[in-house]
Amino acid sequence: MSKFTRIEEMWRPDDRPLLHLTNEDLMPLPPPLNHPSLDRPWTPLTEAARQQYECRLDDTCAVSVPKPKSPAEEAELVRKFLAGLDKLFAREDNWTFLQPLVLTLEHCARCQTCSEACHIYEASGYSELYRPTYRSEILRRLYFKYVKHGGLVSAWQHGDIQLNWPLVARLIELAYRCNLCRRCAQVCPIGADNGLVAHELRKLFSQELGIAPKELHDNGTMLQLKVGSSTGMNALVVKDNIEFIDEEISEKTGIEVRTPWDVEGADILLIHNAGEILAWPENVGAFAVIFTVAGLSWTMSSELAAYDSVNYGLWYDDVQFARIALKQIEAARKLKVKRIVLGECGHAHKALSVVADRILLGDANIPRESALTLLHELIMSGRIKVDPSRNDFPVTLHDPCNVVRLMGVVKPQREILAKIAPKFREMEPHGVNNYCCGGGSGFAIMSGNNFADWRFHVSGRKKLQQILNAFQDCLDPSIPKYVCAPCSNCKGQLRDIIKYYGLWDSNRILYGGLVELIVNAMVDVKPGFIDWEWH
Amino acid sequence: MPILEIEGRKYEVDEDGFLQDPNIWNEQVAQDLAKTEGIEQMTEDHWKVVNYLRNYYLQYGIAPMIRKLCKETGFSLNQIYQLFPSGPAKGACKVAGLPKPTGCV
Repeated sequence: MSKFTRIEEMWRPDDRPLLHLTNEDLMPLPPPLNHPSLDRPWTPLTEAARQQYECRLDDTCAVSVPKPKSPAEEAELVRKFLAGLDKLFAREDNWTFLQPLVLTLEHCARCQTCSEACHIYEASGYSELYRPTYRSEILRRLYFKYVKHGGLVSAWQHGDIQLNWPLVARLIELAYRCNLCRRCAQVCPIGADNGLVAHELRKLFSQELGIAPKELHDNGTMLQLKVGSSTGMNALVVKDNIEFIDEEISEKTGIEVRTPWDVEGADILLIHNAGEILAWPENVGAFAVIFTVAGLSWTMSSELAAYDSVNYGLWYDDVQFARIALKQIEAARKLKVKRIVLGECGHAHKALSVVADRILLGDANIPRESALTLLHELIMSGRIKVDPSRNDFPVTLHDPCNVVRLMGVVKPQREILAKIAPKFREMEPHGVNNYCCGGGSGFAIMSGNNFADWRFHVSGRKKLQQILNAFQDCLDPSIPKYVCAPCSNCKGQLRDIIKYYGLWDSNRILYGGLVELIVNAMVDVKPGFIDWEWH
Repeated sequence: MPILEIEGRKYEVDEDGFLQDPNIWNEQVAQDLAKTEGIEQMTEDHWKVVNYLRNYYLQYGIAPMIRKLCKETGFSLNQIYQLFPSGPAKGACKVAGLPKPTGCV
């Protein structure tokens, strides 16, 4: 099958996918995966999935949209799509993102600088379907034809498009073939934002058609608003789990920690991604150790949504986004804390620090800070004493897009690593030029059908290449290696891809957060905090 | 919804093979789900893990932390992987009839 998918194929009425990739098509990887035969085989979509869901884009299916049962149902979905399209370009409905969206659609010069910057496009062996401008070109043509009501001249000038259900069905899936990392936007000479286009499409599908991946909506924002956390932990469970972590971590480190709950007037409200509590408790425990030793005034909150910093609405739905952000802020106000500190979760940084700024008026605009800058202050001031020789193994750093490219927090984590990790080496490129882990925008928690195969082979491939390159001089399994990734979502993706390729067993590559490395080097703590066997 | 059929018994499962309705779980269901995980015979050790998960779930409505599971059952993570090759979340929780974990875990 050709990798040069034409725009016209998007409205092809048949069910056949537009793209099929094999390992031979993909971007090559360095050792130990330096031949397509060393790569893993893809799990094909099942026949049952193909029968039941709209799977006409490529080899996978992220959203599991049920096939409409009749032409009338298809027509109704197309009608809703058109109505949503109008709203996307109406100031009163989309005041948040209208301006950058219109600028992107009207002024893109098609120079393709963005395409060269996109890890998904590159990793797929430059498949046209995944070019950042491919998706935008479709929305652009829809915009000029159905929103601006351009006639024949417009169609000639901007390119024609035929709106039908197959186009909408494919566009739903295509909106979920972008990590929203916005590396494309960063390199664009005129500031067009093709990542925003994918985001706006997702929003249209969720808010107007009620279509979103269930991991993000039903089991994500809806669950968080109902029980308090997308993990399903209610206040009782989260407190019980934190108590368990406190006990374990006190025993392990020799530092007596007791996480404070709902302390009114504390300086800091610490909000973790609650996934850390269940899946990476050592990260949560490490924060408690550092905060305790530094003598900070801090608390956690047991209010609904305020012990889970996640806000999946950021990726697909502005309304859900606002509901969650407001709950988190309300909890901080109730406790009268001076500021909120966000744990190691990238999208929570973007959600609550940056995007929420537009809806937080007056005294609701409580200061929010990244844990990385706070940790930097604690280490540099000497309040936390470290012995770097305890971290005597190669370490590389992954830059979470939302913290680094989006917020410009680049140096604090590096200056910390310079103090605690003598064998630190950068990935190339890094800092604001980093590449996404491949799990961004919710992909790390999406594994329906065979979507995980796609994110290991395509969206996660560039990061895998970078990690392997960073450790080429020490691939020997006798040397343990650590990929420091201060973000839960990135850690989820790294855990899964390292396991998928067996890189712990073959090359002793481990991943983890930043605070674990700090505590591993703390002189006040019993040596050996990092559990190499626990992965 | 996919249907899992084992020796004539039918269960509604999600696309990853997790039981749709946790309430219909019983020992027979566990044995059938175990077969989908490549476990031919449930041993006493398998039941120890499954029963702990099941009881925790009934009490709290969610799966326990993996570390808690290890501590309470006395098994290391490696031993749990030996018992349930897909691991504690995707293997053991499935056999115990728990829903698939949600959120950033």
